[in-house]
Amino acid sequence: MTSAIVMHGLTKDYGSGHGLFDLDLEVAEGEVFGFLGPNGAGKTTTIRLLMGVIHASAGAAAVFGLDCDRESVAVKREVGYLPGELPQFGGMRGSEVVSYLGGMRGGIDRSRVKELSERLELDLGRRFREYSRGNKQKLGLVLAFMHSPRLLILDEPTSGLDPLNQQTFQRLVGEATAAGGTVFLSSHVLSEVEETCSRVGIIREGRLVSDMTMDKVHELRFHEVVIEFGGDVPDAAVRRAAGVADVSVEGSRLTCTVHDGFDGLLSAISGSRVVDMVSREPSLESIFLSYYRT
Amino acid sequence: MPPRLLLRLHRIGLIAMSYFGIFYVLVNSAAFPLIAGKTRASQEAFGHSITVLGATFSWLLPTPVRPDTSAGYLQWRGYGFFAILFAAWGLFSACGAVRRDEDRGLVESWLSSGISRLRLLITRSLFFAVLSAEIVTLTGAAGWLGCLIAGTPLDVAGLVGESAALWALTIASFGLGLLVSQLVSDFRTAASAGSALLVLMFLLDSIGRSSVHRAPFTDLSVFFLFNQSNAVAPGGTFAALATIVLVVVGAAAFVMASLGFVRRDIGNGLIRTRPGRMAEVHDASANPLLRLPIVRGLWIRRLGSLSWTVGMAVTAASVVLLVNITATFFASTPTLSPYLRGLPGDVHTVLLALIWLSFAQALVAIFAITCVSRWSADDSSGVLEMQLAEPLPRWGVLTERAVELTVTVTLMSFVAMAVILALAPAEGISVDVGRMLSSTALLVPFALTFAAVGALLAGWRPRVAVVTLSTIAVISYLVFELGPLFKWPVWADNLSVFQLYGTPLITPVFVGGLVAMLAIVVVGFGSAGVVLARRDVAA
Repeated sequence: MTSAIVMHGLTKDYGSGHGLFDLDLEVAEGEVFGFLGPNGAGKTTTIRLLMGVIHASAGAAAVFGLDCDRESVAVKREVGYLPGELPQFGGMRGSEVVSYLGGMRGGIDRSRVKELSERLELDLGRRFREYSRGNKQKLGLVLAFMHSPRLLILDEPTSGLDPLNQQTFQRLVGEATAAGGTVFLSSHVLSEVEETCSRVGIIREGRLVSDMTMDKVHELRFHEVVIEFGGDVPDAAVRRAAGVADVSVEGSRLTCTVHDGFDGLLSAISGSRVVDMVSREPSLESIFLSYYRT
Repeated sequence: MPPRLLLRLHRIGLIAMSYFGIFYVLVNSAAFPLIAGKTRASQEAFGHSITVLGATFSWLLPTPVRPDTSAGYLQWRGYGFFAILFAAWGLFSACGAVRRDEDRGLVESWLSSGISRLRLLITRSLFFAVLSAEIVTLTGAAGWLGCLIAGTPLDVAGLVGESAALWALTIASFGLGLLVSQLVSDFRTAASAGSALLVLMFLLDSIGRSSVHRAPFTDLSVFFLFNQSNAVAPGGTFAALATIVLVVVGAAAFVMASLGFVRRDIGNGLIRTRPGRMAEVHDASANPLLRLPIVRGLWIRRLGSLSWTVGMAVTAASVVLLVNITATFFASTPTLSPYLRGLPGDVHTVLLALIWLSFAQALVAIFAITCVSRWSADDSSGVLEMQLAEPLPRWGVLTERAVELTVTVTLMSFVAMAVILALAPAEGISVDVGRMLSSTALLVPFALTFAAVGALLAGWRPRVAVVTLSTIAVISYLVFELGPLFKWPVWADNLSVFQLYGTPLITPVFVGGLVAMLAIVVVGFGSAGVVLARRDVAA
């Protein structure tokens, strides 16, 4: 399988430890690669380097064998891009923004624009300044997908989208890869990446700390559980339960983390009176901390 | 809100008003002995001519008082004109502070940070009040300095009074702008409605001044209230009550604007039009103009370009109509009449050339600066990043910008030229069509010279491009104006872009100047291309 994206020692040093450092990464054609990391980790910097908007301090990146810096115009013929935030197009209508930016590409597939805007339920007749945050994001997605590019580079694509449109987006990504396309998307939400990607890279403080398949990601996933008991707290049983860790007790409240399913925990508390139980997906940062602790 | 942010939000008004106010007042007051003469007799004759001229322009400016003195001349030429300028600044600043910042999402962001609506409006208004007070004070100080240079020191008490009246007019206009902006939902409508209100007030004052009958409600005009003071002129008065009323108008408008701001939805005005039910659109615009290089930019900015073209055409028409009045004024002023005798060619033609070309140069230079301002803003707002996300080389973006500016300046200049050629015969002014064509065509490389320097600055340091280019333009103009007065060497004069343009309507084209301008254009845009290619966008 050929590579859609190759980065070798890619570095963008903003000074004071900020930026991106020594990134080696390869994304195969047809892959959906999720680039995960907390805010400020270097995801957008990587994407902007791929788009040739900023120049690398060291190293190089290539898209379909084309250098992202020297051959950025040729690169962009193959790429559909969604920036982290769309600029203000003021009084221009959505349809005019599509025509204007599509015209710079040399032409527009109007049937594709129609299909995308209908599926995303985006009214292109409204002025940009009237769009909500979600509608601006939908417009960005139309702009990125409308020419059916070989590679989609998407910076936090589901930001601002409602759950229904998130599902539409996931279907669009699926269709793009089914047609042979490649997707490189950034996110700081693990569940979003789980739904869409086949492989993820985790970046922290400008450095790639992990590059793993989704199976490995599933292993990383855990839940933070808080249980309020009506009587004695069965902490000893919980501590022995399979897949349960980080157990702490405060009065009648027990807090723990659960990996690989809830069977062990539920067996341990089966004889106790449970008043309240809350399970939530931890933040990406918490997963990182847990991952690096183990 | 940090003062630095507020300063940034008002930076264009601050730069423009500081430069213009200080420079205009300083030059007009300091140059008084040069145009009115140094003897009492010549100054009295000059004053008489100005009185006659003032009567002709009484619809525009208040009647001059003691124009035979530098103080009286400053009152008429400076503060009379500043009423229009500062009122417009106050109005547009208020409309921008409310509607433009709301369009950009800034107001919503500030309000979500915990600041109350009332406090936000108070902060913006107080900051503008302080800023305008500073600029009015600096302008007054420049007038004082100019008169000192002219050898006739100003009465400080009168200057303070007139400055207070000007400041009161400015904040009254700001208050009215705040109020109008609460009623409508976008900047363009607010600025248009506010301008209409100011024009109406100006006309009320103008009618009262130029006819025996005073229009009803004239007392409510902010211009009428301001013009009650003429404290800079010898024997003039400071109308404290009228000034207090101006402040009250500003405060009352602020209170009403605050009530409106607290009641209305963010993003909407108090007057809401119910949008018609329109079918949803799921197609790209069919407009082919949006897809063609260069044409797309011209189409998007068509309203702005049209406004500039109309503005320049109206200026051209006004200049043609002013030539005969100006010629009469020069002929009847002993200190100025020798200039007429020294002019190469027909007086009316020469005056048309001098007046029109100075206006035209200023307008296209300002237009070039506004273009550079947009180029810089495109970088920080992310528009440039979106353009570069398409398969468009950076030099392509730069080329489109340059050609778009060239087309617009050509349109502006040649429409204005057509107006002059159409009106001049009726005014008895003969115009050499060939020279008119060459002088109009030369405005294009002239504008491109500023644009090239601006493109280089915008490519190198977008955030300081406008300030630096404005400074270059002002210094260039100062060199052009002061060089001949102080008999500077030719090479120093030629440092000015205005000088490089020459006077092609009355003298042959300054080939050396044209070559120099073209060289700046080539080097400037070439360097801008290199700098832009090497730079990180929006970084």
